[in-house]
Amino acid sequence: MPFNSYPYFVFLAVAVLGFRLLEKSALTGRRVFLLLASYAFYAWWRADFLFLLCGSTLVNYALGREIEQRRARQSDRRALLIAGLAFNLGLIATFKYDTLFVGTADQLLGLGLPVPHFFLPLAISFFTFEQISYLVDADAGKTHGYTLLDYALFVAYFPHLIAGPIVRHNDLIPQFRQTRTSNDDLATGITLFTIGLAKKTLIADNLAPFADAIFNAAGRGMHLGPTDAWLGTLFFAFQIYFDFSAYSDMALGSSVMLGIRLPVNFHSPYKAASIIEFWRRWHISLSAFLRDYLYIPLGGNRHGRGRRALNLFITMLLGGLWHGANWTFMLWGGLHGLYLSINHAFRRATKDRAVAPALHLPLHIASVALTFAATTLAWIVFRAPDLASARNVVEGLLGGGHSNVVSFSHLAQVTLLLLFIVVWFMPNSMELMWNYRPALPSPYADQPVEPARRLSWAPTPLHAAAYGLLCILAVLALSNLKPFIYFQF
Amino acid sequence: MEKTRYAVWFLGTLAIAITALAVFNALAGDFILNHPSGGSVQTLSGFERTLKPVWLARIKPELVLVGTSRVRDGFDPTLIDPALKIKSFNYGASSMTPYEARRFVQDALSQPSVKRVVVALDAFTGNNGTGEALPSFDETRLAVTPDGSPTPRRKLWLFTTAYLSGGALGMNALGVLALVRLGPGQTAADRPDIFGAYSHMTLKVMQRDLDYRRARGMSMGERARGEFSTMLAQACHARAPLTLFFPPDNMAIVARYRQTDPKGFDTLKRTVTEVVAKHNRQCPDKVTLFDFMAPNALTTEGLKDGLSPDYVDLVHFRPSAGLWLLRQMGLKNGSL
Repeated sequence: MPFNSYPYFVFLAVAVLGFRLLEKSALTGRRVFLLLASYAFYAWWRADFLFLLCGSTLVNYALGREIEQRRARQSDRRALLIAGLAFNLGLIATFKYDTLFVGTADQLLGLGLPVPHFFLPLAISFFTFEQISYLVDADAGKTHGYTLLDYALFVAYFPHLIAGPIVRHNDLIPQFRQTRTSNDDLATGITLFTIGLAKKTLIADNLAPFADAIFNAAGRGMHLGPTDAWLGTLFFAFQIYFDFSAYSDMALGSSVMLGIRLPVNFHSPYKAASIIEFWRRWHISLSAFLRDYLYIPLGGNRHGRGRRALNLFITMLLGGLWHGANWTFMLWGGLHGLYLSINHAFRRATKDRAVAPALHLPLHIASVALTFAATTLAWIVFRAPDLASARNVVEGLLGGGHSNVVSFSHLAQVTLLLLFIVVWFMPNSMELMWNYRPALPSPYADQPVEPARRLSWAPTPLHAAAYGLLCILAVLALSNLKPFIYFQF
Repeated sequence: MEKTRYAVWFLGTLAIAITALAVFNALAGDFILNHPSGGSVQTLSGFERTLKPVWLARIKPELVLVGTSRVRDGFDPTLIDPALKIKSFNYGASSMTPYEARRFVQDALSQPSVKRVVVALDAFTGNNGTGEALPSFDETRLAVTPDGSPTPRRKLWLFTTAYLSGGALGMNALGVLALVRLGPGQTAADRPDIFGAYSHMTLKVMQRDLDYRRARGMSMGERARGEFSTMLAQACHARAPLTLFFPPDNMAIVARYRQTDPKGFDTLKRTVTEVVAKHNRQCPDKVTLFDFMAPNALTTEGLKDGLSPDYVDLVHFRPSAGLWLLRQMGLKNGSL
């Protein structure tokens, strides 16, 4: 069920209450309860896909255990690991990419192939990646003889199941064995959840109609004018920012209410002063996964500059394709691969250059602006339904057409100004709540979350009133069920 | 403040607010649906996309009218029901897109009580396609999914919409406010200051409209045509028949359409006529078509004493004209 819906609120309340009532009972009972709740959460959409989730869990668990045992016996386990990877990649290829690959081959070669159309099982990209990491870690000796219950709960744990964060087994499973659910966590969790809900219903959902109208017009072949193209691009850049950060806050907040911490997933990415930094702030769990399980196994930066650039490009290309079965996502990933390669080359070229202290601030501002511009331009291909529409928007940015889908009204100007202030100058939800540890630390040591110096949350009457009011406003805006953008991946 | 107390106060305040919201929406909803002029609230502009699917399910009408603000303003159930001895429902909404129109028609056709659905065809102009809808439109409130299968958990979504949504709060507040301002014995027709659908076009409004809509065309794009054809195909399997009509836009504005895009205007009419004729050959007795966007007693009328008897502006006709249109379509006492 969607996080931004009344059924989820009721479900979450029941889950938290049940989990707390079982606090004094055996640990197994709590974990069984949480697993059943997670399966019920998943079955809400399509009960039949629960078989897929359970089947995938069982196969991966069996393979992982066998790999662990063979490792202990020091016998060959390569075939098992390859079989596991093939199983997971085959599953995701069948359900997610069959239509794209077969359809494209059919178009290019004119073979008249029957193009399959599978219904995409929810969260398949997320639970498949998490299980791949488990198998690879089992092979590397980093897993610790988990029980099936622990493992199944790690895969299905509802706060992260649908759209992440992509969690590592060793981050989550030890927490399932903790007996603590402090009352402190409830206050922290509901506040973080409220911030996320407000971002979704009050900001992202109100930007969506404008971005949608403009990208739909581009999809219809309308030649966008510069106003439409720029506003559509900026509105979508802010929509996806608030939509995804809202989802991350709600996922982390839900989990905190249960006394379990998920990793930081979103850390003011538009404050990044480089593309490298952007990827340490945007969808942190995905970029860390791609780094550890794709980029480094490909060779990382160990085989020279050219190979590093190639590895980066391949990693980001596949990272893009992970988002969806569309060439636009692949192009988006490719663009980021290119950006990252340029970024690394630039760093290397300027490594020994000393910059006058007076230039630090202007250079930082320019870097942040340039990074924002580059990522925003890349969002065009991410959002556009096809490459022709993306081209249409880009031509519009350059003054190509004369459309008039939206106007640059005073409201639009004020909205954009406020959005820039929020994303560039305000502390983010993690920083606001960091004194109360709402999440596991970022895997990127050079981008740690620090507590906010201003507006930091504390359980005071003033904050209770302010966040209570925010929650009421966010709930009132819940008239429509608008899915999160990342739910489709 | 302890964090436990924080959580209790936070959740307590939220629970009180949500309860108050639900109680208000329940009371206001009942007040509107049981008020003698409650049907006139359906002509108001506000959060109609949010609450009308809920009202449709509750009112269980026999006749449903679907379309843009022309329909929303022009058909008042309070006027229609006693005159035609039927139970009608106004499913009009501002700037309805072709996709929304198709989906609202699907929703109407899926209601067991519905015996006829009347659709104004201006909703199928422009070039919006599948999935393109205004922000407050929500699939989960409609009886069926786009492919015609029942919407999962629709009752739950209707419940949360009716009692727990800000959209319902807005529409209910608007409706209650309008109804309580009516004096004893007054109807919506007596208070055009509240129910704008009953106001009369003046010369000033007419000139403003001619200026405002000077570049307005009336054509049907490929995507809109696709939605139109899909609607007809779905109607073929429905129990209730469809009545389609070109709305009676005043000839002064029709002249503008012809000026702006003469080809588009003629193609629109020809396309609709051809598609309907083709459909009727394959699926007889399900769809009838009326063209009121042509010279007739309504569209050629002039101002009388500076006021239009039948128009609010050049495209929005008054509810009295709406009743006349229904009679022209053959709807008579209790007969659909």
